[in-house]
Amino acid sequence: MSAKPVVVLTATCLVWGVLLGITHVLTKDKIVEAERAEINKVLSEIFPSASFVEENGYYRCIENGKLVGYAAIVEGAGYGGKMKVAVGIYVDNTIRGVRVVSHSETPGLGSRVAEDEFLKQFEGKTLERVWLKSDGGDIDAITGATISSRAVVEAVRKGMEELARRFSL
Amino acid sequence: MKVQEFTKGLVKKNPVLVLALGLCPTLAITTRVENALGMAFSFAFVLIFSNLLISAIKGFIPKDVRIPTFIVIIASFVTIIDLFIHGYSPSLYEQLGIFLPLITVNCIILGRAEAFASKRPLGETLLDTAGMSAGFALIIVLISGIREFFGTGGIVIFGHQFLPFILSSPATGMILPPGAFLVMGILLAMLKKMGVV
Repeated sequence: MSAKPVVVLTATCLVWGVLLGITHVLTKDKIVEAERAEINKVLSEIFPSASFVEENGYYRCIENGKLVGYAAIVEGAGYGGKMKVAVGIYVDNTIRGVRVVSHSETPGLGSRVAEDEFLKQFEGKTLERVWLKSDGGDIDAITGATISSRAVVEAVRKGMEELARRFSL
Repeated sequence: MKVQEFTKGLVKKNPVLVLALGLCPTLAITTRVENALGMAFSFAFVLIFSNLLISAIKGFIPKDVRIPTFIVIIASFVTIIDLFIHGYSPSLYEQLGIFLPLITVNCIILGRAEAFASKRPLGETLLDTAGMSAGFALIIVLISGIREFFGTGGIVIFGHQFLPFILSSPATGMILPPGAFLVMGILLAMLKKMGVV
């Protein structure tokens, strides 16, 4: 058996490995920039005229030089897989707004957790009230999508708890 | 160089219907016409260029290691495109996001590399892969059109209302996984019965 197959396969892997490395270096900064722009876009839906200062993955929201709140992007476990939820709170730890950034819930059922009608319920709530009604809180679950609704609630709670700890609210 | 190399991919050797390749993406992403279009374009891009490359260097690849070599080429190609789109066109990336990595495991690409590109000259490879891309696009757009229409009541493509919402109580099941199998199966049965495939 000749050594040619080994040489060719090794060479192929080397060449493509180098190409991948070059591409990574060329695109790395651009990708970080694109992701930051994406996060800014979501957070500006919650705090429309604020600018955001990142601190280890959490955000201080500044409006006209004044601190108006904090925001976090948290991952939760939904019915269909991971979901990403953005939570914005006022400085007194009540909710300013909640957005579902990405999810893979059942279309037409669980996917309704990303709609305003469901998310509006969170506005103005404090941590103690953020539970589904069936669990003793204030949030109406979406009919037929209790697991998805609870996933959002849990992500929001996690976000609020982490923000409270991080900024000692 | 014959034009049949192109047209055979449309019906007679359609990758999905006849060769039964690439079924996973066909079933998984045909929930909306928009998704199918995004998949069809990125798939065509990867299929055509990776197979042209394979056809160009086929003389250097020893038979024993051809499959790992093809896989390295296809996977690297997809990753490079993925990184560039992510960095330079975030809005396109948002649309194609999950489909790009999925292309690596689309067996049509490896299938054509093995069955065609690794044996034929560049010109024929171009025709073959273009035909296969068109055939794949045709089927996934057709299936997603049926599923989106019955599953949501209308068809919206990139924000434009292509078909108005005329069904008042759409069958959500059509855009869930079972709908994919139903539509695919019925379509295949009908085409077989009509003698098309």
